[in-house]
Amino acid sequence: MQEGKVLPAAQINRDLLRSILETPRWFWPVVSLLGLIVLAASITVGIMINTGLGITGLNYKVVWGFFITNFVFWIGISHAGVMLSAILRLAKAEWRRPATRAAEVLTIFSLMTAMIMPIIHTGRPWRILYWAFPYDFARGIWPNIRTPLVWDPSAILTYLTSSTLFVIIALVPDFAVLRDRTTGWPKLVYTLLAMGWEGNPRQWKLQIIAGVLLSALILPVFVSVHSIVSWDFGMAVAIKSWHSTVFAPYFVVGAVHSGVSAVVFAMILLRWAYGWQDYIRHEHIDALGRLLIVVATGWFYFLVMEIIFGIYGLEGDELAVRALQFLPGDYGVAYNVWMIIFVGITYFLPVILWLPKAWRRNLWIMSAACISVNVGMWLERYLLFVPGQANKQFQTFTWNDYLPQWPEALIVGATFAFVSMLMLLFSRVFPLVPLYDIKEGDILRTEMQVGRRTLTATFRED
Amino acid sequence: MASETQAHPPAADHGHDAHEHGHFGPEMWVIPEAPGLVAEVNEKQNAPSGIFRMVLLAGAALTILGIVGFVLKAITAGFSDHRAWGFYVAAFAFVFTLTASAPLAACAFRFTKSHWRRPLSRIAEIFSLVSIVNILLFIPALIALPDIGVATESGELMVRRSIWFQELVNPSGWLLAGMIGLSFCSVAILWLAALPDMAQSRHLVSGFRASLYGRLAGGWYGTKRQWQVQKGGLAILGALYFMMVVFVQFLVVSDFAMAMIPGWKDSILPPFYTVISFQGGLATILLVAYAMRRWGGYRDLIGQAPFWAASKVLLGLTLLHTYHLFAFFITYWYGRLEVEQAILNYLMFDSYIGIFWAQLFFTFFIPFPILVSNHARREGWGAPLAAIFIVIGLLLWHIRIFAAAFAAAPAVEGGLYYLPSDAFSFPALLLPVPGATFPDLWDIFMILGGVGIVLLVFRIGMMLLPPLSLWEMKEGSMYQRVDTLIRGRYLVLAKPE
Repeated sequence: MQEGKVLPAAQINRDLLRSILETPRWFWPVVSLLGLIVLAASITVGIMINTGLGITGLNYKVVWGFFITNFVFWIGISHAGVMLSAILRLAKAEWRRPATRAAEVLTIFSLMTAMIMPIIHTGRPWRILYWAFPYDFARGIWPNIRTPLVWDPSAILTYLTSSTLFVIIALVPDFAVLRDRTTGWPKLVYTLLAMGWEGNPRQWKLQIIAGVLLSALILPVFVSVHSIVSWDFGMAVAIKSWHSTVFAPYFVVGAVHSGVSAVVFAMILLRWAYGWQDYIRHEHIDALGRLLIVVATGWFYFLVMEIIFGIYGLEGDELAVRALQFLPGDYGVAYNVWMIIFVGITYFLPVILWLPKAWRRNLWIMSAACISVNVGMWLERYLLFVPGQANKQFQTFTWNDYLPQWPEALIVGATFAFVSMLMLLFSRVFPLVPLYDIKEGDILRTEMQVGRRTLTATFRED
Repeated sequence: MASETQAHPPAADHGHDAHEHGHFGPEMWVIPEAPGLVAEVNEKQNAPSGIFRMVLLAGAALTILGIVGFVLKAITAGFSDHRAWGFYVAAFAFVFTLTASAPLAACAFRFTKSHWRRPLSRIAEIFSLVSIVNILLFIPALIALPDIGVATESGELMVRRSIWFQELVNPSGWLLAGMIGLSFCSVAILWLAALPDMAQSRHLVSGFRASLYGRLAGGWYGTKRQWQVQKGGLAILGALYFMMVVFVQFLVVSDFAMAMIPGWKDSILPPFYTVISFQGGLATILLVAYAMRRWGGYRDLIGQAPFWAASKVLLGLTLLHTYHLFAFFITYWYGRLEVEQAILNYLMFDSYIGIFWAQLFFTFFIPFPILVSNHARREGWGAPLAAIFIVIGLLLWHIRIFAAAFAAAPAVEGGLYYLPSDAFSFPALLLPVPGATFPDLWDIFMILGGVGIVLLVFRIGMMLLPPLSLWEMKEGSMYQRVDTLIRGRYLVLAKPE
């Protein structure tokens, strides 16, 4: 049942545009602090480019470490946008409304952040151009389009483009509201962005059709992106434990798990920071919590399949990797302990916290559960990628280990600051809760008398 | 100023000029009012249409044919060579796949509070009765399953790959326990869901049904507490059933397909099989619903709305099916490992190439455009048409996977199928790639018998129990009304919680 009350349109405008028309006192100090962290990481990247990747923990065996883990993590976060916006829009879930914009914007920023990681990881970022352009016509050296490492940027760029378009289409009516409430150069900018929006029936029709079409068209892109990311690993037969057919759906579901959790946490922060209690309500967090139970359980199922069929083959090399992942032993890094922590904090802890309705409606508990999921999902990628590369199989002279160094830790940490900073800056100029979507939800809301109870009801078009 | 623009969409109007008549017409959604519903359904049950009587006869005839096929197969081939039973296992797996997931549809759509599910719920739940047949069908398949380990003449223990690993536990007991548990759970769901309807109908019917309803629903008076227990029970059983279905499907497809083909190690197969099962289950429900609507006299009770909404879910499942297939294919194809190329050649590109492409057309290339079409979905015939193709395609899928698997497993220890139990590595290979296997007459009889027994049991279930979930229909009629918003007439839905 929908909670809260129907608010007048003027109040919705006032409340949701507060983040743009007024600047809270905490805003610039927080943004500055985040900016400083990003600056420190940028300097570190500069040092790394100058010195070489030798200052990281990467070595001749473990060539994909923190950076690639972080790349996959942020790609995963980006899946929240389409999950919440496109899928729930097509499913006509009413409770999606306040979450869609934040999820879509988080998608864009996390994709941008993710794309930075492999560029940094190359060590010589300018060589990234060779992925896209042939660098020696004379000798016929072309990018190998048959490698997932080339499919990957194509898919991510397509996803970034379509997600950006998706956000812009949804923002147009809100730009018009901002155009009508600002003066000076901001008005000029919003006027340009509103593209002549007057809110007539034809414009609404086009906007809604565009939204629905983009929702449907973006779904295959959404699935393909993380599938292709998974194939960066799944196609590699040399690294035992990577070559698994289940990787694609496993990665996609995992991405939705971490992405939706991240959006829930972001929504709770926004509610607290901007006082949007009337818009981001407990019922929304509750519904997302229920969705997350289903998603988490699906993810756990894929995890179990991945592990069982890793062992099923009874192939010596793969069993050695699985032993490294799960069993205690004198291997250097205690991956088995991290494995227990990862499964605990990614599935069991959050699902236990999400099961009781009262806990789903407790914002502190929900925040803890969602942070737990994301820490766990980061660990998941790390534990999926690194032990296989450590190569601790039968020929001991090829063994190696990976101990991340401070530049990697700082750069990875700074990506969180980077995304947070971008989200805050976005909220300063564009509404993070879609005004028109909230108003539409209120208009479609009505009441129905059933027996002695008055229930909230919704007008349904189909 | 804000008044300069219309800053919110013209609610639910969305620019459609035709809304005065409704995009689909609100009547499409309206569940009939409660009075008379119980009597009407009882009347239809007591006087089924001619086609429904024919379904009963056809089901019985095909079942007898299947039994004849089974007996003759057992006499001619015996159970010592598992390769003779591939098509039987395919028929069992096909029946199991479609019918085990059907009750789940009722639970899942009840969980998501989908209004349109109401006419479909009982149809889905009646498939629980087929689960009892599944147990019976499963026993010969278990007997035909080759042992995990065999002893050579020298006494050395040779084992094959299995999800039971090398512990040499006898999986048959566990598999059977899983199947029985699944059956119990689904029948419990059916009983709990049908309880209020049986209670209400017990005074309207006579003979065996009156006695049955009296026994099964004697204590139901519809108190608030009883409703709470019933709904809570359905939710808990639904969650339990979901987990059990997924687990038993994992066991079946791993033991009866993957482990039978030397070298096949495929972590996506169990989820793929589950997706296929959901797709097939929903397709089967839609076919039955369409038959009831078209030929059973239920046109007024089963509207177009369930087809319109369920077809979108079927579209999603169809896409998921193809996605899982592609994820399997691309990983194997790209890896270029000899063992994986052999599997691809066997199942897709060489031995079973014809059946593979036929199945792909039936499960994707034909139903996809049908389900994408708004017109086909809206008119109510699109989903059942797509469902027919999907069900045929899934039969082919089961033959391609299960019959092929049983044909590929060597009859005796040898090659790289059975290896010493202390083998350091397990590089089993399907080389040379065997040719396709074809059914004999008894196999065809058994496949037809599998289809027949589903028809027979389901039809008996329809005769015994109200084929529509009356309490859900009545509940639905309370939570809906048609109302005016701006210029259009729309359905208004209440969600109580």
